[in-house]
Amino acid sequence: MTGGEDPAARTVADPDDEPRPATDDEPRPATYYHLARAVLYREYLIFVRYPANAIGGIVVALFFFGVLFYGGRLLAGQALTDSLSGIIVGYFLWTLSVGAYSSVSNDIGSEVQWGTLERHITTPFGFAPVALLKGVAKVVRTFLTSAVVLAVMLVLTGTRLSLDPFTVIPVAGLAVTSVLGLGFAAGGVTVLYKRIGNWLNLLQFGFVALISAPVLDAPWTRVLPLAHGSAMLQRAMVDGVRLWEFGVADLGLLVGVAAGYLLGGYVVFHYATRRARRLGVLGDY
Amino acid sequence: MARSAASDRGGPRERDGARSGDAPSGGDPADASPPALAIEGVSKRFGDGDDSVLAVDDVSLAVERGSIVGLLGPNGAGKTTLIKCALGIVLPDAGSVRVFGTDVGDGRRAAYADVDAMLEGARNDYWRLTVRENLRYFATIAGVDPDSVRARHDRLLDRLELTEKADTPVRELSRGMKQKVSLASVLAGGAELVFLDEPTLGLDVESSRTLRRELRRLAREEGLTIVLSSHDMGVIEDVCDRVVMMANGRIVADDTVAALLSGTDRDVIRVVSADIDDAVVATLRDRFDVRAVETGPGADAASVEVAAAGDALYDLMDALREAGVTVEDVRTVRPELEDVFVDLTGMEPDGRGKAP
Repeated sequence: MTGGEDPAARTVADPDDEPRPATDDEPRPATYYHLARAVLYREYLIFVRYPANAIGGIVVALFFFGVLFYGGRLLAGQALTDSLSGIIVGYFLWTLSVGAYSSVSNDIGSEVQWGTLERHITTPFGFAPVALLKGVAKVVRTFLTSAVVLAVMLVLTGTRLSLDPFTVIPVAGLAVTSVLGLGFAAGGVTVLYKRIGNWLNLLQFGFVALISAPVLDAPWTRVLPLAHGSAMLQRAMVDGVRLWEFGVADLGLLVGVAAGYLLGGYVVFHYATRRARRLGVLGDY
Repeated sequence: MARSAASDRGGPRERDGARSGDAPSGGDPADASPPALAIEGVSKRFGDGDDSVLAVDDVSLAVERGSIVGLLGPNGAGKTTLIKCALGIVLPDAGSVRVFGTDVGDGRRAAYADVDAMLEGARNDYWRLTVRENLRYFATIAGVDPDSVRARHDRLLDRLELTEKADTPVRELSRGMKQKVSLASVLAGGAELVFLDEPTLGLDVESSRTLRRELRRLAREEGLTIVLSSHDMGVIEDVCDRVVMMANGRIVADDTVAALLSGTDRDVIRVVSADIDDAVVATLRDRFDVRAVETGPGADAASVEVAAAGDALYDLMDALREAGVTVEDVRTVRPELEDVFVDLTGMEPDGRGKAP
């Protein structure tokens, strides 16, 4: 009597009802493709299963825009209307930045609390690719919600913008990548000093200054995160400049700033977690 | 019962041969296979100056493949720190940790392919995902294509009695079930060495029994190596081949459960009778090794514990008859791992100091 086999065999989706061979499930190594699929799929599942979070974010973003738009029109009248398209582009980029930044840094904080961060550090893939993929997943998710916010803003104000996806997505994406780096750095600091994490959320309001940085009057501000990308996104969406119409220098700087801050943020995260491991505070709840 | 039949089945060690050959961290396959875990001279001090605490003090330990080693110690003994050092979550000040021959210090990525852990107090998985989604996700993170271990996951869920809840988000499960999902997600990636910190904490009796049985089966049939820490001596006695006791960052005992117990007085007899009075006790003391006496006004029956190995038992009974003692109850006092533990560490397992 091999009664012991029955429960196992029953749950295995094996139509031909043969006894399991010893090598029925020899584990195959996962590739980066599997890793990407797993990380993105998890993000997708949480997005569709808990839409309240995403919808809540959209509602809050639109509420603030409403206050900005109607309040500003009361106060500034025509002046606001003239600069409205610029404000919409800036606001769109701001929601993207805040979404990417807070989701990455809060995510790291939550994962520390849940004890899942260690499992991403003790992975044979190494933490960097996993963290990067998680960051990409957050950015994709944020793009979806910010696109909704953008669409509502355009309808609400009757503004027309150039929305060429081949220009808007790379430029906005690269602009936000630098913020992703800041998110990693903030997440790393949170691992070390848990209380500071909440304060770092205030950085989000600093993004407003970066997005509206005077890149023409003070060209050095272009190396700050967001500033150069924001200026390019304005030209792309307001003036209708296409991606390939930008100069090589502009594009190079955009990529360079994105890569620089992402790398810098990752280095901060790496050393912060390393120090946390030395101090023994990684995974202290 | 089908489940226990499954556990008792002497199945083939399916993965042993298959994995050791192609394990990326296997080192030189011509070598005699290295132990699953080899800790050498690991020390870890937290803090600086006078406030510093030497959490782990020059600990060396080797764990053979397929064995279940219990890690016992009061709170603050250094168990969790040692486990975290072995995982590389805490970096030791000195010493080395090798997992299946791969140094955790430098070859971390390779080492991590074969190791996973369930740490105390951690959720360890995503509560917003379902049970099966967690298994698939963490299998991938552990470096295993989840489709290739689908059948293994089904079996794991079945054995841990989670099949019905496979598609339920973890947050909706009871505490005991969450604990089992956490364990399942650790085992999902096919790690060959797992650290389990208090795995039965919060489980009811039946769940704890299921989990112990499953742990024994995994070690026996699949060659899984388990390092398990627990306050629950019953779990350790029940599951572990070997017990390592820690106190103040050091290993104070390292032996099989049987050997540790045999070191204590095995043959203590406890006799209960209303006839036991001071005179009887004095008589017994003359001839025997009396370990404990409970008498006194108000007690219905006094009791006395006497070491009486082998033929001394007959002598004891004769002595009791001569003293006119009518025995109400007699039993051997079974030595408990807890007693050994208290003797060795001077502490109760929950960390309190021994009463003076």
